[in-house]
Amino acid sequence: MKLITAFKLACFGLWSNRFRVLSAMMGVVIGMFAVIVLTSIAIGVKDTLLKQMGSLGAEQILVMPGRVLDTAGGQKDFLSGLTSVPSTLTYEDAEAVAQVPNVKSVTPQLETVTVAKYGEKSVQSVLVGSTDQYSRVQHADLSEGRFFTKEEQDQKAKVVVLGSNIHEALLGLNTEPAEGGVTEPTETKPESWWKRVLNSLQAGVVSAEEVSLVGKTLTINENEFKVIGVLAPNAALGSSTDNNIVMPIETALQTTDMKNLNKMVVEASSIDVIDEVDGAVFSTIKANHQEIDFSVVKQDQMLGALDNVTSILQVMLFGITVTALLISGTGIMNVMVMSVRERTREIGIRKALGATTFEVMGQFFFETLLLCFIGGAVGIGLGYGFIELWNSQVDIFALVLPIWAVKLALYSSLVIGGLFGIYPALKAARMNPSKALRFE
Amino acid sequence: MIELREARKVYRSGSGKDEILRGIDLLVEKGEYVAIMGKSGSGKSTLLNLLGALDVLDAGEYELAGKSVHEMRQGRRAALRNEEIGFVFQHFQLIPNLSVYQNVLLPLVYGKKRLGKKRSRVLSLLDEVGLLDKKNQKPARLSGGEKQRVAIARALVNEPGLILADEPTGSLDEETTESVLNLFDRVHKQGTTIMMITHDHDVAKRADRILRLQNGVLI
Repeated sequence: MKLITAFKLACFGLWSNRFRVLSAMMGVVIGMFAVIVLTSIAIGVKDTLLKQMGSLGAEQILVMPGRVLDTAGGQKDFLSGLTSVPSTLTYEDAEAVAQVPNVKSVTPQLETVTVAKYGEKSVQSVLVGSTDQYSRVQHADLSEGRFFTKEEQDQKAKVVVLGSNIHEALLGLNTEPAEGGVTEPTETKPESWWKRVLNSLQAGVVSAEEVSLVGKTLTINENEFKVIGVLAPNAALGSSTDNNIVMPIETALQTTDMKNLNKMVVEASSIDVIDEVDGAVFSTIKANHQEIDFSVVKQDQMLGALDNVTSILQVMLFGITVTALLISGTGIMNVMVMSVRERTREIGIRKALGATTFEVMGQFFFETLLLCFIGGAVGIGLGYGFIELWNSQVDIFALVLPIWAVKLALYSSLVIGGLFGIYPALKAARMNPSKALRFE
Repeated sequence: MIELREARKVYRSGSGKDEILRGIDLLVEKGEYVAIMGKSGSGKSTLLNLLGALDVLDAGEYELAGKSVHEMRQGRRAALRNEEIGFVFQHFQLIPNLSVYQNVLLPLVYGKKRLGKKRSRVLSLLDEVGLLDKKNQKPARLSGGEKQRVAIARALVNEPGLILADEPTGSLDEETTESVLNLFDRVHKQGTTIMMITHDHDVAKRADRILRLQNGVLI
């Protein structure tokens, strides 16, 4: 009963002192905002890295040029141990791997830099030769048109699928042609939100004339190619497809001087045979090479390499949370101690009228607790708003707010209130009523 | 009934100690109206704090309504203050951010009465002291006399057997003093014991008995 009284008095106390409460709450609001935003940044960066480095499915194997060196612990170090050597992987290697038992599919990729022309406009782009499986393996969705088929690949059809930046640049939507008619698009550097808004407004004007290149013909290396599709924007860190032009690998081998593969994604028929396929793929390629100048990597090896990065992020997250808690807690304790001092006479009056030590302590304890809880909720709300705004306007990487981070922030604010509310509450409760009534 | 036997109170400051009350013996019958007079520093307020269970004796015994207050712990003393004693102070001691109604309600918040009864009790008391129309106002907007009437209503709200008043008219003009003293007279006639500190002989004359305190002893 007395606990309920103390709680009601705390609610009333906060409401009566609402303007002071607002300033007292700021520390917790900012602290919890920082926890939410920084957590979402850390998780967002981690997720982006995982998505890119670990975008392989559990049943997929990545074959890449260069040899991954072993660390002192005998593990493969993909972050710093990958030797930089010219690729010796060939399309023949890919064809040989396709014959390995339990291999479901092989998706080789060739890459080079080229210039694509459409009418008066020229755009520098990354030309990718691959198979009909490219969009699936690369997680690249189409925004319009279609991807090329196995038949078109076999027939060495002169068809291309454009990345979104290339498509827009050739339409003149996001870059101005440089002097001489050649446009030099930047590497996958994302544009700021205001530029994109401006571009979308400009696009509205241009669209009256031409809004899509699907069905149109463009020129690459003196050869004409029909545009059959456009990839959706995919501005992921380091592995964006936005500046790519994708064509069948057979066509790329015929119309360019590309010979060596940049990578090859091998898909096993099931996860149960992944180790067996891994070994067989290695042996098959090794048989075609004089030395081991390539690497065969499974998903678990790739993810394992990220452990160091993610553990640094986790330590950073823990540090931020603890710092925010200490700053908010100390701030709120100081404010509450000041509040107790200012309200000394009120405490004396309450005690004279029959408030017990427990009730006075409960009132001030609940006031701190409620203050922190409300401040925490406001901070989380503001953090959520910031994350939503970021995700809608910025494409560098997405901020991720897991539900556990919200719970962590909310529980943390209660822990702050609980821990740092004890001292002011005890200070209030221990006051001698006769002295408190005389306080000036 | 109030009974003090050999009551002593000592305040310590630094290395020295100051004996404020030096063995007070006092008996006040139920329903009595007692005025306490004495020079500043004679121990009047200390005596009132001890009688109101706001402070504890260093030696001696104190009984109120048959209960041994000197043996009580904090929690029971708080309950005693809430149920048996009403306080009226010279500077009113109202909580500034509570309304008139909420100030009067406060002792009931810490008591055991049911909420329905509490509301009607507060409203009837505010009516009795002539402040029903100002029940939603904050103390800052009231005159000194009105503030003291609110304080008296608050002191009476729990129907205590004892009212302890520390110079209740000390900050009031002559006319307002009269209306406040009339209120005390009415309360006294209803059988409530009143103990009032005052420097004013005219105010003291309205009591049944006048106690004089000098250097911590009753003379």
